[in-house]
Amino acid sequence: MVKAEVIIDEDLCYGCGHCVKFCSKDCIKITGDKFTAEGYLLPSIIKPEECTACGVCAWMCPAIAIEVYKYEPELVT
Amino acid sequence: MSQEAKVVTKKKVAGKPSLLTPNVAGFAYCPGCQEVLAARLIAEVIEELQMEGNTVGVFGIGCSSFLILRLDIDAIIGPHGRPPDIATGIKRVYPENLVFSIEGDGGLISIGGESLLGVLTRSEKITVIMLNNAVYGTTGGQMAPTTLVGQVTSTSPKGREVAATGFPVHAAEMIAIFKGVAYSARGALISPATYKKTKGYIKTAFQKQLDNIGLSYVEILSACPTNWHLSPVDSLKWIEEKMIAEFPLGEFKNVDKIE
Amino acid sequence: MSERVFVEGNEAISRGATAAGCQAFFGYPITPQNEITEWFAREFPKMGRVFVQSQSELGSVNMLYGAVAAVRAMTSTSGPGFSLMQEGISSMANAELPGVIVDVQRGGPGSGTIRTAQQDFFQCTRGGGHGDYRTIVLAPNSSQECCDLTQLAFYLADKYRNPVIILSDAIIGRLREIVNIETIDFGPLPYKNWAIRGKAKQKDGKRRTVDHSADLYHRDPNFVSFLIRLGKKIEQMQKSELRYENYKTEDAKLILVAYGYTSRVAKEAVNMARAEGTKAGLIRPITVWPFPYEVIREKVRQGCKFLVVEDSLGQMIDDVLFAAEGRAAVHFVGIIDRHIPTDGGMILPDKVFEKIKEIQ
Repeated sequence: MVKAEVIIDEDLCYGCGHCVKFCSKDCIKITGDKFTAEGYLLPSIIKPEECTACGVCAWMCPAIAIEVYKYEPELVT
Repeated sequence: MSQEAKVVTKKKVAGKPSLLTPNVAGFAYCPGCQEVLAARLIAEVIEELQMEGNTVGVFGIGCSSFLILRLDIDAIIGPHGRPPDIATGIKRVYPENLVFSIEGDGGLISIGGESLLGVLTRSEKITVIMLNNAVYGTTGGQMAPTTLVGQVTSTSPKGREVAATGFPVHAAEMIAIFKGVAYSARGALISPATYKKTKGYIKTAFQKQLDNIGLSYVEILSACPTNWHLSPVDSLKWIEEKMIAEFPLGEFKNVDKIE
Repeated sequence: MSERVFVEGNEAISRGATAAGCQAFFGYPITPQNEITEWFAREFPKMGRVFVQSQSELGSVNMLYGAVAAVRAMTSTSGPGFSLMQEGISSMANAELPGVIVDVQRGGPGSGTIRTAQQDFFQCTRGGGHGDYRTIVLAPNSSQECCDLTQLAFYLADKYRNPVIILSDAIIGRLREIVNIETIDFGPLPYKNWAIRGKAKQKDGKRRTVDHSADLYHRDPNFVSFLIRLGKKIEQMQKSELRYENYKTEDAKLILVAYGYTSRVAKEAVNMARAEGTKAGLIRPITVWPFPYEVIREKVRQGCKFLVVEDSLGQMIDDVLFAAEGRAAVHFVGIIDRHIPTDGGMILPDKVFEKIKEIQ
């Protein structure tokens, strides 16, 4: 089951690489094949299944471009 | 028999603080600049203290002044180095407001030296925040009071020489000496751990003001990749390896009462 | 509230500010205006209003900048301190803030003297700081005017959202006279919707900002649109806020022009001249900016001669020459004509009367 989702706003991201550095699970990488109109290399979530929704990438992003969501199963009666 | 169903809920874990407004067209911070990150911490703390409706930010000149376009609070921008004076003016007439000034190292310690000394002398109940990136960033990376010995800048092309230009200034330690100061701390944003700690420093500093104890000061080491001529990731390494050796992190003064 | 007191001009300024509802005063020690700062230090805390002695005039003007974003406030200084305040005043002009700044003139340049002179005219009337701006400059010549014009200063500062300067001098500042202190009602002013109160206290719940570059911080569409707006403000102040006094000018063939303490000297000399049959008169600018150019030009058209009496090497005389457009003789009694050539000297009526006779 998908545990988490990381959404990086590609209009705001300028490829600084902090999210890549701070992800403790190495889920994010700048693969080199995505870039913005200005030429900034964009990161990709290469291992979405490893993401634990810790939120650190969002905290450390200086462009404030990242949102992190957690999917939690709940029992409903 | 009751029905049971599994529902998956989507919860937002991290995102943009509500007081931080989107990037305004016409001004963008450099890739890897941590000034907006510092503003994010300030925004989060103001929200947590529930002071959005009663906060005034005072900005000076420099990259940090453009944070006025990002933080949705009452704000005053004034001349280079003068935020502590301006903060004095607005705090004295509206003492119930949370008032903080935010500047770079050149603004606060160099041209703003007398204003800083003024608020320290009078023990103004304000919070002074300094973003320390060891250069004058906005104007192209000139030498600043906190430039490291040997650091190459546009006005110290051979590296900062002690004989001609002295040593980097340790503002947090210096400020801690003043009796009227309730709190002085230095943080950085080079890891989740330091991020959390620095946010704690800001919260403590604001609380000292709300409790009317004395002046509070937080210094934040902030990456400046453009003027350091380093990549954003290498800039963080430079802070970790070089800046922290010169400017240790931690709390230098923390008192609950000043008599 | 009405009170009749016997006070010097400096104290009359403080009392006028209080009557106008000034909530905060920021000051720094400098002669000859320490009495203003000391009065506020004694009295404002008793009234629950704010007094701060700053660490310098650079501090005072910037504390003023912060305070007037919210309430009526004032600072006071003399020439050397006024020079330090120029960046702050220029910033207030861009930020459209209503600060009131008092300059009690002393001898200059530099540290000059601690006694009177009239050498800050250019600095006050031409902007003084960098950039395109003007401030209304009110020049009292008595303790009563110190009280009344200070109140007017607060009104005009709020009306135009622009700094206003009160240009006094050491003699007016330290001369004791009878003053009737009454709160003057100059008329209604709009609610300060732009002022900082905290978002919670605003009717629309939105924040307010004050900045000193309409261009850099996106307050105006662009730099020129901001300057067009500022230019219109300057024009409006020039059109609507001129104040002056005509003394025996109707049939006068020789017009004296003077402000501040020398205007009283000139008035005395006019009386002396009239007693001997010379038709002299005095145009006294009460606002030295805007300056009464048209009033002077009217007298130029009538073929009058002019005598500027000013305790300086010659500053206001430039404005009279400008008004005269080369079509009238403009004479001068200045600082080198003081009764004694020391810092304690002043221009006396005898000297002015002597010059009047010489011109005739």
